[in-house]
Amino acid sequence: MFKHFIFIIIALSFFFTQLAGAQIASTGFEEENNIYEKVYDAKLNLNNGDNRTLTQLCASKPVILALIFTRCSGICNPFLVQLKENLQFKTDTDNFSVLVLSFDPRDTREDMVNLSKSLNLENNKQWLFATTGDIEKLNLSVGFNPVWDSIRSQYDHDALLVGINKEGYITKKLIGIRNKSDLELLIRSVNDVFSPSYRLPNKNRLFSCFNYNPETGKNTPGLGLLFLTLPAVITLLLLLGISYTVRHKRILI
Amino acid sequence: METIKLRKITSLWIITVLFLFIVNIVLGIIMRLNQGEILHEQPATFYAHMTTHGLTQIGIWFVAGMTGINYLMERYLKTSYLANVVAMVLTVTGILMLWTSTYIGNFHAGWTFLYPLPLKIMWAKWATPLFLGSILVMGVGWLTWSVSMMTQILKKYPLTKALAWQHFRKNPTIQTPPFILISMITLIGIITCLLGAVLLLAMYAAEYFSNGAFVNDALLMKNLTYFFGHTIANEMLYLGLAVIYELFPEVGGRPKWKATWYVALAWNCTLVFILTAFFHHLYMDFVQPVGFQIVGQIASYMASLPAAGVTVFSVLVAVYRTSIKWSLTNLLFFIGVAGWVIGGLGAVIDVTITNNFVLHNTLWVPAHFHTYNALGNVLFSLAFFHWFSIQFSEKTDFEKLTKLKLTLLLIGGIGFLLAFYIGGAESMPRRYSNYPAEFPMAAPLAIGAAVFATIYLAAILIFFFQISKRCLNILFSSSSH
Repeated sequence: MFKHFIFIIIALSFFFTQLAGAQIASTGFEEENNIYEKVYDAKLNLNNGDNRTLTQLCASKPVILALIFTRCSGICNPFLVQLKENLQFKTDTDNFSVLVLSFDPRDTREDMVNLSKSLNLENNKQWLFATTGDIEKLNLSVGFNPVWDSIRSQYDHDALLVGINKEGYITKKLIGIRNKSDLELLIRSVNDVFSPSYRLPNKNRLFSCFNYNPETGKNTPGLGLLFLTLPAVITLLLLLGISYTVRHKRILI
Repeated sequence: METIKLRKITSLWIITVLFLFIVNIVLGIIMRLNQGEILHEQPATFYAHMTTHGLTQIGIWFVAGMTGINYLMERYLKTSYLANVVAMVLTVTGILMLWTSTYIGNFHAGWTFLYPLPLKIMWAKWATPLFLGSILVMGVGWLTWSVSMMTQILKKYPLTKALAWQHFRKNPTIQTPPFILISMITLIGIITCLLGAVLLLAMYAAEYFSNGAFVNDALLMKNLTYFFGHTIANEMLYLGLAVIYELFPEVGGRPKWKATWYVALAWNCTLVFILTAFFHHLYMDFVQPVGFQIVGQIASYMASLPAAGVTVFSVLVAVYRTSIKWSLTNLLFFIGVAGWVIGGLGAVIDVTITNNFVLHNTLWVPAHFHTYNALGNVLFSLAFFHWFSIQFSEKTDFEKLTKLKLTLLLIGGIGFLLAFYIGGAESMPRRYSNYPAEFPMAAPLAIGAAVFATIYLAAILIFFFQISKRCLNILFSSSSH
C-alpha cells in the first residue's frame, strides 16, 4: 500500500511540474501593457498646420499611432514603408487615420513635412505627421520606452503601432514590422469590432486553464484546470473524512 | 423529535425569507417598469437593483430550502441548532453587507459578478470588497450549516446507506428514506459549489490586494463563477424536492414514498451530472475546448432528466386515480412540480447548443429560471411554510383564501413569465436597462410583465400576512405547543 502512495505522489509531482512549466510566458513582447487604458491627450503640431489634441483627433476617426524619429538610421524608415505598403490597397480607408508621431524632441514640423514628402504621403489625407511637446507623458501612457544611445547618437526603440479608438482608449498594440493580417486585427480593434483572440502572455497570470502555443496552434492544459476540480476533490475528502471519523467514534463508543 | 428552539428559528427563517422576497419582487417590478419606460432610472441604479435582486433571491430561496430540510430532518436524526443559528446570523449579516454595497456603495456588476467587472471600479472603492465579503460571509454560514447537517446524516447512516447504494442490490435489508437520500445528495453538491465560491473569492482577493502582481485567468474565473452560481441555483431546487418527497404523500394521506433502485440511481446520477452541467454557460467562450461544451450539453440533459423523471412519475402515481386529500400544501407542491418541469424544459431547450446560438443571453434565460423559481421552488417552500405554520396553530381555517391565492399566483406568475418567453423568442437581449428602438415590443412587454408581477405580489402578500402571523405566534409562544 505504501509503495502505491509513493508511486502516486511521484506521478502527480511529475504531472504538476509539467503543468507549472507550461505557465511560463514564452515571448518577451509587451503588447498587452496599457490595453484599454486612456492614451495621454497630447497637444499635436500637425504637418497640415493644425494644432489639435490626440483625443480631438481620435474623436473624428480612430487612430493608428506610429512612433518614430526622423533621424533614425535603423527601423523607422522600413517600418513606415512597410506600413504604407500594407495599407495602400485597402479600400475602406475612411474608418481610421494613421498618425506618424516623432518621439524625438529635436524633430520639428518641417522635419515631419519632409518625412511625409519622402514617403509620397504629403497629400494623403489619411496620413498625418506630427510632433508634440508632451512626448514623455504620451510614451508613458502607451508603454513606449525609447532609450538614447549616446555612442551611436540614436534611440534604441521598438517599432510600435498603437491602436486608439474614438473614445481615446488603447485597443491594441503591435510591436515590430508585422504582416497584413495583424494590421487588419489592429484596424478592427480601433473600430471596436470583435476579434477572437487568445489570452495575452502575462507573467503575473499563474493559473491559466489552457496555454496556447502559437507555433503549434494547440492548447495545453494549465494549472487553472486543476483549480476547477479542487472543490469536488476537497468535498470528497471531507465526505470520506467525516464518514471515517463518525464511524470510528461509533465503534469506540 | 424537533425542539421548541428549532420551531422558533424555523419561524424566524420563514418570516425573514418572505419579507425579503416581497422587497425583492418590488425590485423586480421596478426594473421591469424601467424597461417599460414608465420609470426612468440611471443605468447604474438599474444594475444595482439587478445585482441585489439576483443575489438576494438566490440567498433567500437557498436558505428557505435548507430551513425545510433542517426542520424535517429532525424526524430522522438530531441536527445542530448552533449551526442553524450561525447560518441565520451570517445570512442576515451578508444580506445587509450586500445591500450596503449596492445601495450605498452603488456596486452594480450583476449577481454573477463576472470577472473582471468587480475589479473595474465604477462605484465606491470599498463596495467591491464589501460585496465580495458579503458572499463570503453568507457562504461560510451556509457551508457551516451544510457540513453540520451532512455530518449528522453520516452519524446515523453510513455513507453508502446515505447514498442508498444498497438499493442497487436485490432485497436491501435497510431502507434509506428518499428524504435522506435527496438531502445527502444535495448537501454534497452544495458543499462542493460553496467551496468553489470560496476559491473564487480567494482569487478575487488575491488580485484585488496584489496591486497588479497577480492577475487572474478570465476563463478560470468564469468557470468558477458558474460552477458556484449555476450549481447552487439548481441545488436549492433539490432541497425543495426533498421536502416534497417527505411531505407530499403525508399531507395527501398516502403511504410514505420509499427509495427504490431507480430513485437511488437517478439521484446518484444527479449528484455527478449537476456538477458539470455549468459548462453550458460558456458556450460562447470560444477558448473553452469543444469537448467541454459537449460535456456541458450532455451533463445538462443528464442532470435534469433522471431527477425530474422519477419525481414527476412519483407525483403522478400518487395522484392518478387515487383518493388523495388535497390541501393548499399539496396543491402548491403539485403546481410547483409543474412549474419546475416547464422551467426545466425551457432550460433544456436553451442548453442545446444549436438553440443556444439563438437564445443565448436573450430574455429566454430569465424566462426559464424565473419559471422554475417563481412557479417552482418558491411554491415548494411556500408549501412547507404553510404546512409548518399550521402545525402549531389552534385555529382550523387554514384553507382560507386558498382559491384566491392560487388564482393570483397562477395568473400573475404565468403572465409575468410569458412576457419573458415572448421576449426571448423575439431575440430580445436580457440585462438591458433600456431597450433601443430596434425592439419596439420590449417596453410594452416589460409593462405587461410588471402588471402581472404585481398580481403575483398580491398573492405573496396574502401568504406573508397569514403565514407570518402564525409564525410570530410560534416565535413568541412559551409553551411547547
